[in-house]
Amino acid sequence: MIWRSAFNRLWWTISILCLLAAIAILFIVFAFVAIRGFPALHPEIFYTVTSGIAGGLANAIAGTFLLVSVGLLIVTVVGLGTAIWIVEFAPPWGKSTVRFAIDILSGVPSIVVGYFLYVALVEALGWGFSLMAGALALAIFMLPYVVRSADIALSKVPPAIREGAFALGARPAMVVFTIAFPWAAPGILTGLLVATGIGVGETAPLIYTAGWSNYMPTLAPTHSPVGYLTYVVWTYISQPFAKSHELAYAAALLLMIFIFTTNLLARSFLEYSLSSRGRR
Amino acid sequence: MIQRPSRLQRPNAQIALGGLTGIAALTSVLIIVLMLVFLAIYAYPAIRFNGLGFFSGTIWNIGNQYGSGSVTRNGFSAEPGAVFGAVVFIFGSVATSSLAMIIAVPFSIMVAMALVYRVHPRIRPIANALVELMAGVPSVVYGLWGMVVLVPLIARLPGAGSGNGLLAATIILALMVTPIMVATIRDVVLAQSATIFEASMALGGTSWQAVTRAVLPSVRGGVVASVLLAFGRALGETMAVLMVCGSAINSLPQNIYQPVNTIAAVIVSQLESALTDSSGMAQRSLAELAVVLFLITLAVNIIARVALHGADRSEGQ
Amino acid sequence: MRKLSITALALGAALLCTPLAQAANARLLETGSSLLYPLMNLWVADYQKGHGVQITTQSTGSGTGISQAISGVAQIGASDAYMSDGQMKGTPMLNIPLAISAQQINYNLPGLNNTHLHLSGPVIAGIYSGQIKFWDDAKIKALNKNFASKLPHHEIVAVHRSDGSGDTFIFSQYLSFSTPSWKNGPGYGTTISWPSVSNAVGANGNPGMVQTCQSTKYCIAYIGVSFLNETNKAGLGYAALLNRSGNFVLPTAATISAAAKALGSKTPRDERISLVFAPGAQSYPIINYEYAIVNPKQADPSTRAALKEFLSWTVDAKGGQQERFLSSVHFLPLPAAIVKLSKAQIDKIE
Repeated sequence: MIWRSAFNRLWWTISILCLLAAIAILFIVFAFVAIRGFPALHPEIFYTVTSGIAGGLANAIAGTFLLVSVGLLIVTVVGLGTAIWIVEFAPPWGKSTVRFAIDILSGVPSIVVGYFLYVALVEALGWGFSLMAGALALAIFMLPYVVRSADIALSKVPPAIREGAFALGARPAMVVFTIAFPWAAPGILTGLLVATGIGVGETAPLIYTAGWSNYMPTLAPTHSPVGYLTYVVWTYISQPFAKSHELAYAAALLLMIFIFTTNLLARSFLEYSLSSRGRR
Repeated sequence: MIQRPSRLQRPNAQIALGGLTGIAALTSVLIIVLMLVFLAIYAYPAIRFNGLGFFSGTIWNIGNQYGSGSVTRNGFSAEPGAVFGAVVFIFGSVATSSLAMIIAVPFSIMVAMALVYRVHPRIRPIANALVELMAGVPSVVYGLWGMVVLVPLIARLPGAGSGNGLLAATIILALMVTPIMVATIRDVVLAQSATIFEASMALGGTSWQAVTRAVLPSVRGGVVASVLLAFGRALGETMAVLMVCGSAINSLPQNIYQPVNTIAAVIVSQLESALTDSSGMAQRSLAELAVVLFLITLAVNIIARVALHGADRSEGQ
Repeated sequence: MRKLSITALALGAALLCTPLAQAANARLLETGSSLLYPLMNLWVADYQKGHGVQITTQSTGSGTGISQAISGVAQIGASDAYMSDGQMKGTPMLNIPLAISAQQINYNLPGLNNTHLHLSGPVIAGIYSGQIKFWDDAKIKALNKNFASKLPHHEIVAVHRSDGSGDTFIFSQYLSFSTPSWKNGPGYGTTISWPSVSNAVGANGNPGMVQTCQSTKYCIAYIGVSFLNETNKAGLGYAALLNRSGNFVLPTAATISAAAKALGSKTPRDERISLVFAPGAQSYPIINYEYAIVNPKQADPSTRAALKEFLSWTVDAKGGQQERFLSSVHFLPLPAAIVKLSKAQIDKIE
């Protein structure tokens, strides 16, 4: 009997070590970026645009913000809609088809999405490098994660509760918004946060759709290229100037801080709103 | 006081919701179908030109752009000397992704278990946020870190050469797919009722056994779904892999230290030059590579679904 | 109340969609070569102070520069390689040289990084095709009688660019022009089919080349001259190359301009010419023009005017050709005769 509990201890210890290893690697990468980007972190990068070999990050920050916001808007509507359809309305063949398609979509390289949209939107439809093209690229890239997480979360609503609601006379729309959503909210949020993280950190889809701009983004949906932080990271790191490298790392640092604070805020907000509703 | 029934109860609301979400689902499917069709049509000349040699040849040569004349096969022509063999890239994609998953899946399950069962609920939001932050690291940053820190580390190992190669790419990919799986596995396990765990414990199992033999199998569907998603990401990752894989052209790796190349990485690195090919065959061959990647992802998903045929049904879906 | 807020939202959204007042300024997009990109950035930052035009620069690669200039998405496509005949047949574009760039061959040999090894095109071709495997190969020793004994018996790690690049273009041109077996083999291009050599590695971008060579002993790599500071900082040595006249020369301002002068007179009107392996006793063998690929037909009048003005400024001795721009990237100004040809091409834009 003793070896069973020793075994038990062993596995749990290993699992904790794995968790610590994961967090440790995160800190290592964060430190790597922070040390190199720190010299460039003056307050002025927040209100100067990129110019010359370095400059500021104002245009990139504003651009990233715009692209991700519009992209999230699109992917939330389409992604959640798809997940709801899968769970509540779809016939069995519909369920597997859509799930299958979404899984395939997750395997498409970011460059293929970007280049496809370049040919379709930027060239064929004549949108030029634009906010909408970039946001669409991000939305397509984020879609699988949002749909799958929402799908899994909505499916996990206990059948007893769901059927109880139906028994009380609730119709599907009511069940979805008043029963399923609150229960699945944490999972849906996870999907959105993971998707945002992945979307914000991608370069290839945006290079061919949003292009790049050395200026603050106009809010025009088409014919106006938009800057974004990952471009700075990808391109300025290839410059032969130390100042450019610092700016690149500063951009990466800002990205990571943005993701972290968003995650933390969103989760805390969710915990708070759910506990205040007596859910936990 | 008479309360009006909620608007959500109206019959129109059901139709509206069903219709709108149906459109959303249709859009999702349409996107992938459109891309596949576009790629296939665009790649058709290359498919004819390259034939089966695409899958057996290791040489990738876009031909002499500045020469004269052209080479023609099956009715399609390209620059002289052009031959496109994709074995190196197909092998690289499959090898790096599979190895990365072999490392990452057990690792992710471990991390998720620790998060669910061993972390104090008060610290959990922060721990969750930290792990999700791993997903928020831009792929170029992983690539940079890999290039500057990881690769020189690997180079110190005996017989490792420059460090750029299969091992480096595998490690980076494992890091990148871990957060996706951890987040989802953690969520499904947390949402699972505690009764399964307690029932297993009541039967005399240790807590670890309860987790691995009762809880995890009960959420098998969700776990497999996240694994498939992560595998897709591994196959499709471009920038990070590009910076550490050593970009092998025309040669297969003999051990885990030697340079490899993946389909996604080679599309990025070759797209540039393919655009200079005035015959267009280089671009089309890259599109053919993308189609092959689609097919690989398709195959993996089909195999997984067939192997776990009963999983979906047991989840009550 | 609800209707009011919905209307307000709609109005707000509509307002947001109208572009903010920037209609007055013309907008130019430059995209392409990563070699030319640092210089473009320096130019644009200075040029915009006195001119009301918005120029966006992008580093995407020569091929993308050419193709986006052809499709009209960009006004200026920066390229290290001139367009091939096949490409010109599709759409005739202007290839306008803006500056002269060069390339050095770097290596990481412990103890020898401070000295300049003598290397030649055929020897380097032999290394990159796997025929010359070790640093103390007889052929390398023959060129370096002074340190023949110091050359280690170690396998050479040949590093090449994995991404399509102008650096690969001129490097492979040097090998092609000096070595017939290479010309008939891999040939030259922005990307070539590298012979399968054990230990050969592909690196991404010039910084990748520097990083890889720095952390891999016994490597050899070709790196753009704009990265000379970086390679010196990394402690890498650079070689003296055998030129067409049989002398070993280092990449200095004198040797680069000697090569430019030697072929300047041979430059045709459309300025599509390779400057690699130029004749002349002092000529450095790996140099090239940095091109702006421009569509001679620009429909929009304000864009056209802004484009011509900017391009004219870049090739002008009092404008972009000033020392303070070029020196930080180690580029050389265009000889006067070439400036004239470039300006003539710029005039052709209508």
